[in-house]
Amino acid sequence: MLCNPTEHQISRRRFLGTAAGVAVAGGLGGLFSAKAAEAMKANNKQVLFVWLDGGISQLESWDPKPDTLFGGPFRSIPTSVPGTHVSELMPACAKQMHHLCLVRSLCTKDNDHSSGVARIQRGDPKNRGVLYPFFGSSVAHLLGPMESNLPPYVVIKEGQGGFRADDAGFLGPAYGSLAFGEGKPPEDLLRNPLLTETEDEERNALRDVLNRRYASQRRPSLTEASTFAYDTARELMRRQDIFDTSKLPAKDLERYGRTDIGTHMLIARNMLESGVRFVKVANYGWDTHGDNFNSHASLVPKFDRAFASIVEDMAASGLLQNTLVIAMSEFGRTPRINGHAGRDHWANSWSLAMAGCGVRPGVVVGATDDTGVEIKDGKYDIGAVFHTWFKALGIDSEERQYKHKGQPLPLAHEDMTPIKEALA
Amino acid sequence: MFPALPRSVTPKATGILIGALVSICAPYAGAVQVDAAFLDKQIAAKADAVGVKLSGRCEDGEFQRRLWLDLVGTIPSAEEARRFLADASPQKRAALAERLLADPRFPARMAEALHLQLMERGGEDEQWLVYLTNSMKANKPWDVLVREMVAPDFKDESKRAAGYFMTRRLDKVGSQTTDYPGLTRDVGRMFMGLDLQCCQCHNHLTVNDYKQIDFNGLFTVFQNLKLNEPAGEYKIKWLSEGLMEAKFEFTSVLSGVKGSTGPRVPLGQEIDIPSLPEAERWLVAPDKKTKLGGVPKFSALQNLAEKLTSKENPQFARNIVNRLWWQFMGRGLVEPLDLSHSGNPASHPELLEQLASTMVERQFDLRWMVREMVLSEAYQRSGKKSAAKQDVADELFALALERRISAEQFLRAFLTAAGEFERVLEKKGWDEIKETPLDPKKVQTSFRNAFANAPKEPELKVDPSLRGALFLRNNSTILWALQPRPGNLLDRLLSMEKSEAIAAELYLSFFSRLPDKDEAEEVGSMLSASKDRPKTLSKIAWAMAASMEFYTNH
Repeated sequence: MLCNPTEHQISRRRFLGTAAGVAVAGGLGGLFSAKAAEAMKANNKQVLFVWLDGGISQLESWDPKPDTLFGGPFRSIPTSVPGTHVSELMPACAKQMHHLCLVRSLCTKDNDHSSGVARIQRGDPKNRGVLYPFFGSSVAHLLGPMESNLPPYVVIKEGQGGFRADDAGFLGPAYGSLAFGEGKPPEDLLRNPLLTETEDEERNALRDVLNRRYASQRRPSLTEASTFAYDTARELMRRQDIFDTSKLPAKDLERYGRTDIGTHMLIARNMLESGVRFVKVANYGWDTHGDNFNSHASLVPKFDRAFASIVEDMAASGLLQNTLVIAMSEFGRTPRINGHAGRDHWANSWSLAMAGCGVRPGVVVGATDDTGVEIKDGKYDIGAVFHTWFKALGIDSEERQYKHKGQPLPLAHEDMTPIKEALA
Repeated sequence: MFPALPRSVTPKATGILIGALVSICAPYAGAVQVDAAFLDKQIAAKADAVGVKLSGRCEDGEFQRRLWLDLVGTIPSAEEARRFLADASPQKRAALAERLLADPRFPARMAEALHLQLMERGGEDEQWLVYLTNSMKANKPWDVLVREMVAPDFKDESKRAAGYFMTRRLDKVGSQTTDYPGLTRDVGRMFMGLDLQCCQCHNHLTVNDYKQIDFNGLFTVFQNLKLNEPAGEYKIKWLSEGLMEAKFEFTSVLSGVKGSTGPRVPLGQEIDIPSLPEAERWLVAPDKKTKLGGVPKFSALQNLAEKLTSKENPQFARNIVNRLWWQFMGRGLVEPLDLSHSGNPASHPELLEQLASTMVERQFDLRWMVREMVLSEAYQRSGKKSAAKQDVADELFALALERRISAEQFLRAFLTAAGEFERVLEKKGWDEIKETPLDPKKVQTSFRNAFANAPKEPELKVDPSLRGALFLRNNSTILWALQPRPGNLLDRLLSMEKSEAIAAELYLSFFSRLPDKDEAEEVGSMLSASKDRPKTLSKIAWAMAASMEFYTNH
């Protein structure tokens, strides 16, 4: 026998923390409380986080200002939600607008990439002298892995992959991300060709026997942690199909676009369907200080196809009901157009898009003025956005806290609250 | 005897009571011989007081594996292990300890362990490691070593590399080009066991002993340093110090209370800043042509380094004693290692104080303490649960604690067990096998990537990871090492007929012990069911390499 289900459950529960403990208990007995049901529901939640690194221009995407001082050359087009317009560079997303929730009134504090990228993804809480986790690490920590036992926080990106402990901040490296560079699995993920699957299973079975013997004379917790690591490794190896780009259906590739972001988004769909808790798709090259309009004319449609397709597919399959979808950057771009026909960094008034579980579909939150410079209505910092995401996932960020070395720490900026209009 | 730390917290638990007594009754009456026997008496007294039975001695196999990993950074070969087990001498453990302490690999292992603690995977530098190794070879006193690290003399070629600690710790993190607060914090953590991070901006909120002045007395000195790019004869980054003419002023962000300080060792006395006439402030004035910084007549850094490492700074001795104890026993007498304060007393206060004061008397002789520790019964205790099966607190040291094996130890242990150490790390024996030689640097890097923590994550605990599991399962070097090749483990095993002999060879190779009856039978039944002996043996060897008994120092 390869794995003992009881041990399995114990190590999983250890990893998952209390919420899952409740869910497991609820599944076993008749003590199914409302709280347990809540925890169970929260435990089905997943996240797709699309990161457009460098800063997508809100004016060439979610908040167009055609025929104004800073509006640029592109027109706006109507969407599936009457009254809501987006840039003409996003015809596919326009058709999915009834699933989307736009926030057009983000006002954040950092317009520098090197600090802003991390600052936004850590939710920019008050300084407590600790490094806060990226949203993905938070979710991995608070909700744990899914039933699939696949790693809870996976990143699909261009460039190098690997294990990234930094993401986890004070939560510790166990909650870091597993990154698939170029959509490819990290080194040593594939079974060595010198070994058949049966041989691999046999030697692992023996390792289990040795470990059980060793643990029987010692405290079991370390061996449990090892068992969990090897089990997760096996799950990942078994599910090689989920990141095998050669197996992606041609029809879907056509729809998503044969581009980096298109392929990566398709892999993301596979991963979400296979039971990865948090999938981040990172796309680069959005820092358009020069030639903003040609760049966006090339970049936005690639994003548009990929993003609209995955939202459409997830809505059709029902996955969207349990999945929080987010598309954003570290900031937007200046309304003022610089001397190189570019737009610079702009944190004062910019946009993001959301969809899926807990989010109110088909609405636009907040508004900017005609020039796009000032926020007219409902100014929100990233802390409020974090509260909104947590709420959407069924996590009460105004009540619940992290515990770090005995110090209670809020999940998100404690002076901020969720964006009510954005929540279902 | 040292002055006790300020004691502003009322002791609560019984363990703390002993601590309070120590500080009241100090100084101790009469000189105590602080040696292995003294350590054991102290450990036994506390266990007795709380009614816990200490576990007995570990078996010889467990002992030799532990000692080899600790003193020379690898495990014994099967042959070495067999010889030790067969040795009937009652003195064989002490003899092995003396032999390994005299082994040239001992200073290298100590240097590596120091490097891992001090740099926390923040950087690698060959010259720095050479410097540490040479220092350990000479058994350089810890206070001298720390003075050379904290106030490096870049002009002296033999000590220049000591500056790596400061320059690397000061060097850029993220988007910042320098990290003065980080360096300040690390000096407090590494050399005094105090994490003063919170005190940059205000007095510590939960630790009464840590005040804002404690951070800033260090900070003012380090902030006065400039990190320079390699220039002239300095092929490495180097530091120059500016003039210090006034105290550093700070304001609490919480209370708004203002304070000021000159250079000052945390919890200690401030160093006066002399007022010198303008013409006399530089010993060597900065030279704009050579771009070499000047040397101030009053060097705050030199003064600070002297005070930090002096006998009058009890935390300096306590810290190194505590860190060595952690390294060899799996837990500090004070935990966390960098949170020493009166509200967090040592598990064995008298032991800590006596070790620390003896360390001072013995001129900070690290090898002395290592020797006494490994000869103690506390070190030789079994790690197996006692028959009573009670859950005993780690801090009693009633049974041996499982400790982490570094990526470097794991690499050496694995290659030793597989019989591929010389081929891979010493580039020997490639000619006879007609394979492309593996690059030892690349192999080392791959093991490090699999088992080391991220920079600045201290490697304090056994921490099995997905990354490590995938590496052991699928990495080609692992599988390669477990294929038969002239002179390696698989080759030896295939030359053996009897399953008992094979089982013994496997267990000696990986676990430095002989298999028990069940374990030997398990190997036997796998072999008799096997249709492909090399594959079956390779599988068993792999399972042992990937097991927890191999993954920890226990």
